[in-house]
Amino acid sequence: MRITINGRQLDVSGKKTILEVARANGIFIPSLCDHSALVPFGGCRLCLVEIKGRKGYPPACSTYAEDGLDVTTESPALQAIRRQVLELILSEHPHACLICAEKKNCDEYKSTIRKVGEVTGCVLCPNNGRCELQDVVEALKIDRVNFPAAYRNFDVRRDDPFFDRNYNLCILCGRCVRICHEVRGVSAISFVFRGSQAVVGTVFGRPLLESGCQFCGACVDVCPTGALTERASRGEALPDEEDETICPLCSIGCGLKASLRGGRIVSFAPTNAEAVNRGQACVKGRFILRDVVYSPKRILKPLVRQNGELHEASWDEALDFVATKLKGYVGKNLGFISSTQVSLEDMHVFDRFTREVLRTDQIISFRNHSPLASFWKELRMNGQPAELNFELDSISTAKVIVLSGADIVVSHPIIWVEVFRAIKNGAKLVVINGKDSSLERHASFHLRVQAGREFSLFNHLTLKLLENNPENPYSRVNGYETWRESLLNEKKAAFARADINEAEVDLAARLLAEGQPTVFLMGPSVVNSAAASANIRALWNLAQVCGGRLIPLAGENNERGAFEIFSRSSDRVLSVEEALFKISRGEYKSLYLAGPLPVPPDAAVEFLVIQDCFMNENVQRADAVLPAATFAECGGTFVNVEGRIRKFKNIIEPLGEARPDWWIICRMAEKMGAAEFGFENAAEILSDLGRTRPFFEPACHRHQGKGKAVFILDEKKGSGQFPSGESPELAPQRAAIHSSPAASARALDYYRSLNLVEESKGLRKLRGLREK
Amino acid sequence: MEEKILTKDFGLKNLFKIKVYLQQGGYKAVKKALEQMRPAEILDEVKKANLRGRGGAGFPAGVKWGFVPQKTDKPKYLCVNADEGEPGTFKDRYIMSHNPHLLLEGVIIASFAVGIHSAFIYIRGEYEAVADRLEEAIAEAKADGFLGKNILEIGFDLEVVVHRGAGAYICGEETALLESLEGKSGHPRLKPPFPASIGLFQCPTVINNVETLANVPAIILNGADWFVKKGLPKDGGTRIFGVSGMVKNPGIYELPIGTNLRKIIFEAAGGMKDGKTLKAVIPGGMSAPILKADEIDLAMDFDSLVEAGSMLGSAAVIVIDQETPILEVLKAVSKFYSHESCGQCTPCRIGISWINKIVRRIASGQGEKDDVDAIICLAENIKGKTLCPLGDAAALPILSICRKFRQELEGQLSR
Repeated sequence: MRITINGRQLDVSGKKTILEVARANGIFIPSLCDHSALVPFGGCRLCLVEIKGRKGYPPACSTYAEDGLDVTTESPALQAIRRQVLELILSEHPHACLICAEKKNCDEYKSTIRKVGEVTGCVLCPNNGRCELQDVVEALKIDRVNFPAAYRNFDVRRDDPFFDRNYNLCILCGRCVRICHEVRGVSAISFVFRGSQAVVGTVFGRPLLESGCQFCGACVDVCPTGALTERASRGEALPDEEDETICPLCSIGCGLKASLRGGRIVSFAPTNAEAVNRGQACVKGRFILRDVVYSPKRILKPLVRQNGELHEASWDEALDFVATKLKGYVGKNLGFISSTQVSLEDMHVFDRFTREVLRTDQIISFRNHSPLASFWKELRMNGQPAELNFELDSISTAKVIVLSGADIVVSHPIIWVEVFRAIKNGAKLVVINGKDSSLERHASFHLRVQAGREFSLFNHLTLKLLENNPENPYSRVNGYETWRESLLNEKKAAFARADINEAEVDLAARLLAEGQPTVFLMGPSVVNSAAASANIRALWNLAQVCGGRLIPLAGENNERGAFEIFSRSSDRVLSVEEALFKISRGEYKSLYLAGPLPVPPDAAVEFLVIQDCFMNENVQRADAVLPAATFAECGGTFVNVEGRIRKFKNIIEPLGEARPDWWIICRMAEKMGAAEFGFENAAEILSDLGRTRPFFEPACHRHQGKGKAVFILDEKKGSGQFPSGESPELAPQRAAIHSSPAASARALDYYRSLNLVEESKGLRKLRGLREK
Repeated sequence: MEEKILTKDFGLKNLFKIKVYLQQGGYKAVKKALEQMRPAEILDEVKKANLRGRGGAGFPAGVKWGFVPQKTDKPKYLCVNADEGEPGTFKDRYIMSHNPHLLLEGVIIASFAVGIHSAFIYIRGEYEAVADRLEEAIAEAKADGFLGKNILEIGFDLEVVVHRGAGAYICGEETALLESLEGKSGHPRLKPPFPASIGLFQCPTVINNVETLANVPAIILNGADWFVKKGLPKDGGTRIFGVSGMVKNPGIYELPIGTNLRKIIFEAAGGMKDGKTLKAVIPGGMSAPILKADEIDLAMDFDSLVEAGSMLGSAAVIVIDQETPILEVLKAVSKFYSHESCGQCTPCRIGISWINKIVRRIASGQGEKDDVDAIICLAENIKGKTLCPLGDAAALPILSICRKFRQELEGQLSR
């Protein structure tokens, strides 16, 4: 289709608004309420245009292009309308600076700057210089406002963590309300009152903390003015540099844009670069990450214990000290722990170092047992065609989503955004959880089941689906009858034990029989229970019977990478909980901690090395402490929950004498006399990795990441057999090792050994934990 | 002079009881429509009758019903707009309180014609007693088999639910009404899409005014030709004129469409009260542009009033006498719309609020030289530029008052 804008003929494909077409072709139409992530709103009325043959002035943001439209975006009449609309907006917005005669001088010499408690003009506004309202005033050349200023005199809301809300600066564009409602599915804020009293607010004006807000920061990112501003960067001058990176915290790995000033990170904000987080982030990536990098707990110099006390040392001294000591434990009684939040390059070096130099069979990783590893062990190793790779899009296009074992609004906020996108497109959500979560209000069914008894529910859903299907394809499969009989015999007892409501199971089964395509999301608590094996197998059967996709939700960033390197071909991973069990039995004489492990005070460890970014409770008994660099200081490669391989580069220089983990280990290996550890940069390590591990081959192409998404090679192998979910007999010692549910919920908020909840008062409040 | 279709039995005691209503031939139209007519025939009859919407915009009801897609896998809904919020308007209240079954008959026939099985009556919260009466009437109709499952045993189901509003004028705007009915705050939606295709809960929806639907039974019983003859060829039937202000007998008067405005005031309503002289008339509810005393020799139908620069709206005639300062009228109008703007779009939210502030300033004796022009300028920038018709509803009367009574207003300016 073809439309005309200001005499220019433009080709348009798909459903686009006039504003979108104009923007794509470099035609400026002023607008303040429109946002690419949001449904058209038509509120600000700045984008009014003229269309030949239509009466009045339709808004460009909500009028869709049709073949043959003849649009005019500039005319004296339009100019007059827009000027008055803008004057009206400015009459309620402190605008002294915008129309001040000294404006130019002030920008340069701050000639008129005054100290006042309230924001009365741009120079006092934290958003000065990145304000969309300023841009529109500039474009429309407003130098006079025909109305007296009407200051609304709202109290600035500072009672919540992370950002301030100054509604005196709000222009009621509604972007914050809409993104909270349309994209994040939270609806913590809304318009309250009407007419000239209208304002954005929470229920009964309560703090955001009490209104269900998750502090994802989406509202702050879309606010065109200084009404919503991040508190941590308030006093900072405008950034002089921007750089892109990847959030190292959870398994999504959001694309983030770092704003820097004088080589220092000012703030992080989500980007839209790859189809991962699409401009969204969460409280941790948006507000806490900067404080993680600059945490006062950062270790900045190598430390070595001499005469019972830790002393600063040079890298050479420290490496010599550790290398010499380590030699005594090679091949015996040594535990090495790897973080899952380090890059592939680091992990590859850890992997080789432990095998070739330390000669140990095992590496300790995964804070709790990884859903990926369990999924692999229970299914793929048993010949089931289970695959790990998926794309987030497959969630947002699903028609039925079954979620079990996670409150993803908190644990995987970006997965939740995709699930919510699907719900908005008409998908039905079935939540299978032991306890209440914020998801229930969006769920078509909330099936309650006692934690650790999920398999009963999965099995009975499967049975129901098969019995309802007249052409039950499994009815003649060997073992089906026995499986069915045993389920039916135990049904009453099992339902009572697991607290299952049978009527709800019937209804949910009916929904599962209809909906295609179906996605099953398997969260950590399904896997982290004593019944993990039974749960996974039963859920897999259910997914197979529905023709659905089962996706295990990894917890930490690069957990997938850790799985690929440490466990895929031959499993050498011990989970942290299993390692603690071994420590309690005195099986380790020496520990090398390149990852988090709460060493118990009574552990009989002779030699303890810590290689971490942050001081932690282990430091006081460590023999050597080696400062590692954070993600921001070293480039590398992450694999996210989808299996997507993404490279990131360093955005700042290492703080103090911190060094990348791979550098420390390589130098250590050299000191210990090992050959082939002479790597000087991450790229060399990556190509070494690609040589030894064929499934990482796609990561090694030099132009990876340019335009096309790169995934780990993961072919679907094996053929489905049924039934694979036998009744579980629990191994008692295994059950003892598994951690309590409370501990697994906490494990979400870590970067390496840094507990973000302890670090951030705001996060502590958000997680509902008491002040210390 | 009066021509009664809707109000003919209003004098009867207990007309709101189904027993009395049935004695007057009630529910005959429903029986005829459901037992003897096909939905398409009903639709044709209503189209031919040129029944125009009585809520204000005057859109032909039959055409509106025709917009609803016949084949759809979604449910369809009927919403009765009983959120009678327009100042000066009280006709729907009389219909619902005196003759609720007449409205229900219209609802049943319209639902049958369009294929609707759920109808909502969105009534303003202040009409508490009226809402109770409607609910009683629905219960009675259900007990007698005119509502509920298998109506008249022809296999047609219809449930009617009364929903009380919470006192916002904007919820009389059809899309804001839908939002409110869905449980959200009453903010109008962008159009298109129109409710006929995407309305309540994203489903095809018909929204009609109470008086519009109350006319339907008479059309079914007497035929479209009869109905058109009662009014004008393009504008069939009668209107209930609600006359208020400085007249001897304020109240409702059901008269043929096209009745002369002077006759309505000076004959039907008995002329001016206590020998007062006429100054101006607002002919169609507060959102209609004002008419001066010498402009009232005109036929009260949609097209004639548009020609005269005003509108028939809800046919609420507000009569203003010489002793009422026009500033008081302007104050009432601007205060009302400034209070009732939903706050979604800029010109309406801030623009009307400024008009209200300027009017208040004039009233306090602090008016400045250019104030009338400032009001006109603001109102011109609201007219046709807002998200929903509320902007126009405010701007048009304000503009007409400022232009027609400019001298009087300027006389009030002190500086």
